[in-house]
Amino acid sequence: MRSIRRVAIANRGEVAVRIIRACEELGLETVLLHSDVDINSRAYRMATKKICIGPAPTAQSYLNIEANINGALAAGADAIHPGFGFLSENADFAEQCEKAGLLFIGPSSEAIRKLGDKVSFKNLAQKAGLPLIPGYQGENQEIDFLLKEVERIGLPVIVKAAAGGGGRGMKLINSLAEAKDLIESAQREALSAFGSAQVFLEKYLGRAKHIEFQIFGDSTGHVVHLFDRECSVQRRHQKIIEEATSPSLTDDLRRKMGETACAIASLGKYKNAGTVEFLLQDGEFYLLEVNTRLQVEHPVTEEVLGVDLVKMQILTAQGKFVFAPNEIRIPKGHSIECRVYAENPYMNGVPSTGLLGTVQWPEGPRRRYEYGFESGDTITSYYDPMIAKVIVWDESRPRAIQKMIRTLKDSTVFGVHTNIPYLIEILSHEEFQSGKMTTRFIETYFAEGLKSKIEDSLVKKWAQEVHKKTKGSSSAVGGNGSAPVSSNSPWMTHWRGV
Amino acid sequence: MKNETTLLVDGQEKRVIAEIVDKKIWFKVDEQIFAYDIVELSQSSHAKSKGQEKSPDKIKAPMPGKITKIFVKEGQTVKKGDAMIVMEAMKMEYTLKSDLDTTVEKVNAQINDQVTLGSLLVQLKVEAK
Repeated sequence: MRSIRRVAIANRGEVAVRIIRACEELGLETVLLHSDVDINSRAYRMATKKICIGPAPTAQSYLNIEANINGALAAGADAIHPGFGFLSENADFAEQCEKAGLLFIGPSSEAIRKLGDKVSFKNLAQKAGLPLIPGYQGENQEIDFLLKEVERIGLPVIVKAAAGGGGRGMKLINSLAEAKDLIESAQREALSAFGSAQVFLEKYLGRAKHIEFQIFGDSTGHVVHLFDRECSVQRRHQKIIEEATSPSLTDDLRRKMGETACAIASLGKYKNAGTVEFLLQDGEFYLLEVNTRLQVEHPVTEEVLGVDLVKMQILTAQGKFVFAPNEIRIPKGHSIECRVYAENPYMNGVPSTGLLGTVQWPEGPRRRYEYGFESGDTITSYYDPMIAKVIVWDESRPRAIQKMIRTLKDSTVFGVHTNIPYLIEILSHEEFQSGKMTTRFIETYFAEGLKSKIEDSLVKKWAQEVHKKTKGSSSAVGGNGSAPVSSNSPWMTHWRGV
Repeated sequence: MKNETTLLVDGQEKRVIAEIVDKKIWFKVDEQIFAYDIVELSQSSHAKSKGQEKSPDKIKAPMPGKITKIFVKEGQTVKKGDAMIVMEAMKMEYTLKSDLDTTVEKVNAQINDQVTLGSLLVQLKVEAK
């Protein structure tokens, strides 16, 4: 295996900063492959070298395989870290990196194809007798056949695009009468969004928890799991709050699910970091999918185990990381991560963009902040709204929740609205605190978003007074004006997946 | 740069940090953050409520973003709840729907347009009452 001297980062924002930190600690140089608008970001200021790979729209920059590889080669990089999202689970990208002589910091393109593809993964798991959600994922796409399968599986059933993700081409079938229309509509959507009309069917689990296991294959191909995370707090298939370890697993379930996660990863000859996702309902667990990359929520695993997954990834790619035999890892305490999104929680989560003013993430024992933008940077509408992650650790789950609420209240972001008030409401909710929440928690309790508890007229009065008192001091940050928006918006929102 | 001051809230003097960013005043009091448009601060509450009056015939962009789909053209009739425009920002898709049963007077956007916050995208005909 080769040694790495300079790592190119095919990503942006907080994860690019996370990777740069790991490289710096390992004594490696970094190359940030960025779009033209991202010169105003923390990763840009930190990287050893920067190469602009294209304009802001992702198809022309962060999703452009050729531009990323050419940029990495031009800057003299010998490896690429893809982060998460963008090209991180693209087998063609991994393969072309390998062909261009760039070490891809992640699993092999073969493992991505085997485990990352939903249908291939299900077939692999089924063959090995591992627990899958009851369903149908075969080649036969004739409508009459699929309708019979819906009856066999039993309602409710979800139809999903085989090549899809993030909720597109996904329909919930609640009655046989509407099944035909919904399947055909899913097939049409799948064809237009992903270029393939193939769909698969899954029994819909309405009271499930989202549990996942961090897996890691070392340089020798030895696969272990690094325990579990729970991410049941989701809005439109987008995770909001994650924690390690799950409050929902007994020792027995944890052992069985961990073994299943390692089994599927070993079947795919998995090297490097990955995540095996499960649904858990009524004490039964089902494999959902494998994410063949580092996960957004990896810090909570790092906090309870005292490991550095990104450094492990970089060392593994160089053939330098091997688990010690008989090494025993025991998770300690509890860790929670909150995703801070640039959105207005009082306007049903409408994205908020603009110039960042004061940004403060006050330090404290076992508070960790992962962020990609600072005061003076601009949050644009081109990319994901996640601007930061707040992670805490404490001795127990209730204390970690208390610490997170305090930490969020201490944090300040001026210039864009954030979901921080929304996060605090979720963390304070009885069902979250009991640990019993399911993936329907948000739609059950927070479907309407938040209502401001303070009258607009009072906010205005305060604003006038504060403005008067601080006038004359040089406090203004420049920028373009913006129009007020009515909060009675006629807009419907749909998340596209991460 | 941020400023510090105080504010009387429920009879108590509270510490406030404040900053003007992009023509809005942002301030934090009692662990809560508020933002207010500076232009609106000097307007009377009557003027403000008029300025923010909801006009369902004017379909405006609620955020900056890209127009990805347009379902209507001039002269077309639309019903309440009909999807008219889809736009995309921060990986989210927004479907803009009509709140009226009427006809489309004008469409001000084209597919792939990058629009700013508050841009008028569709003008609907207002029925004379």
